Amino acid sequence: MAEIAEQGGGGSKDGKVRSKKMSTKVDFTAMVDLAFLLITFFMLTTTLAKPNIMPIVMPEKKDLKKEDLEETKESQVLTLMLGANDKVYYYEGITDAKLDSTDYSAEGVRKVILGKKDRVKAQWGEDEKDDPKNPGQKKIYSKLSVVIKPTKESRYKNLVDTFDEMKICNVARYVMLPISKVEEDFIKNPAAGLKFSAEDQAAAASGAK
Amino acid sequence: MPKHKPKRSSPSLDMTAMCDVAFLLLTFFILTAKAKPQETVTVDTPSSISEAKLPEVGTLTILVSKEGNVYLDPAGAPARRALIATMNTQYNMGLSTAEQNKFVNMGSFGAPSGDFKRMLSAEGPERAKMSTGIPIDTVDINKSELASWLHQARLAQFNYKKEAISEGKNPDEVKEYAIVVKADKDTPFSAIEKVINTLTDINLNKFNLITSQEGDPNKSE
Repeated sequence: MAEIAEQGGGGSKDGKVRSKKMSTKVDFTAMVDLAFLLITFFMLTTTLAKPNIMPIVMPEKKDLKKEDLEETKESQVLTLMLGANDKVYYYEGITDAKLDSTDYSAEGVRKVILGKKDRVKAQWGEDEKDDPKNPGQKKIYSKLSVVIKPTKESRYKNLVDTFDEMKICNVARYVMLPISKVEEDFIKNPAAGLKFSAEDQAAAASGAK
Repeated sequence: MPKHKPKRSSPSLDMTAMCDVAFLLLTFFILTAKAKPQETVTVDTPSSISEAKLPEVGTLTILVSKEGNVYLDPAGAPARRALIATMNTQYNMGLSTAEQNKFVNMGSFGAPSGDFKRMLSAEGPERAKMSTGIPIDTVDINKSELASWLHQARLAQFNYKKEAISEGKNPDEVKEYAIVVKADKDTPFSAIEKVINTLTDINLNKFNLITSQEGDPNKSE
């Protein structure tokens, strides 16, 4: 590829020495190699996509007044307990609660939430409230309340996946609360049933620390 | 009959156009490149369908490693300078001006106040070894170092914002800190719980979790 001027052949037949004519072509190969090397380097070191964020709002820790709280029916509540090894334990309501477990796939926890949502809709109907994003318009909200209780053995991915499911299933009311001793025992021994004492229920009603 | 000879093309190519393109792309990448600040820990974030983007300015990142160690990364040099000056006196770290300047220019940090000076004077892998995370006291919020780092960082940014706006800066360019939690997907929940409890204890009930993009099943249908 490279043009190399021939040496020694410059003399013409009659013996006169003429000045050599330089080729006007420059070999760009090495330069292109270098340029692409640098491009590759910069492409790999740049952070191209900005990461996404998921906004979370936690309930305030101060003692809530009774009028600030909204009551919810037992049959409208689904409690998800995030367990070890990517398992979700869940039960509905409080009285005679049955423990069941599933995983985080679309066929797993999403079906549970959507199934409960349909049953709540069939029994209680839906709320129609003002849409905060479009003033003047109404939006339909499900009456379902989901309580998310991660255990110590769960990992961060489980929590994010669960919040994600809330968004996918369009659950308007959900809250993350610390798990209670009673519920940890319930996971270990589902046959014994969920037995909240009167004090536990009072604590839960006053904002659940 | 004349013989039909196939045309022989010269093996040397004209590289000029290719060179032009290569350098154009190179220029583009150099100009858009932003040096990645060296992270103390590498964090593999979980994915979500959320489409909200991380704000460009004014983020206070709380990094939680796989092991549950907590690191902080407040953005913006003026706030960092004010922050380290306050924390230096509050915890008697005994940092020199040079060490404080080092702090301003580094990425995320996390060490107990007692080890902070040694952590700053170390370099490279040695510094990573010293960065054992900011201690959290879950019982007494007033003793929690994470809580005071967060509080002082927000105060520093708030003061800087007030000052910058009074000097006629665009209010869109200086904002109060948005709290961003960046944790690894395998971080145990007990570590996350400590961070969230600290945040709610100091009345920071709104924060953001960093995630990577994942397809929305409702939209793909």
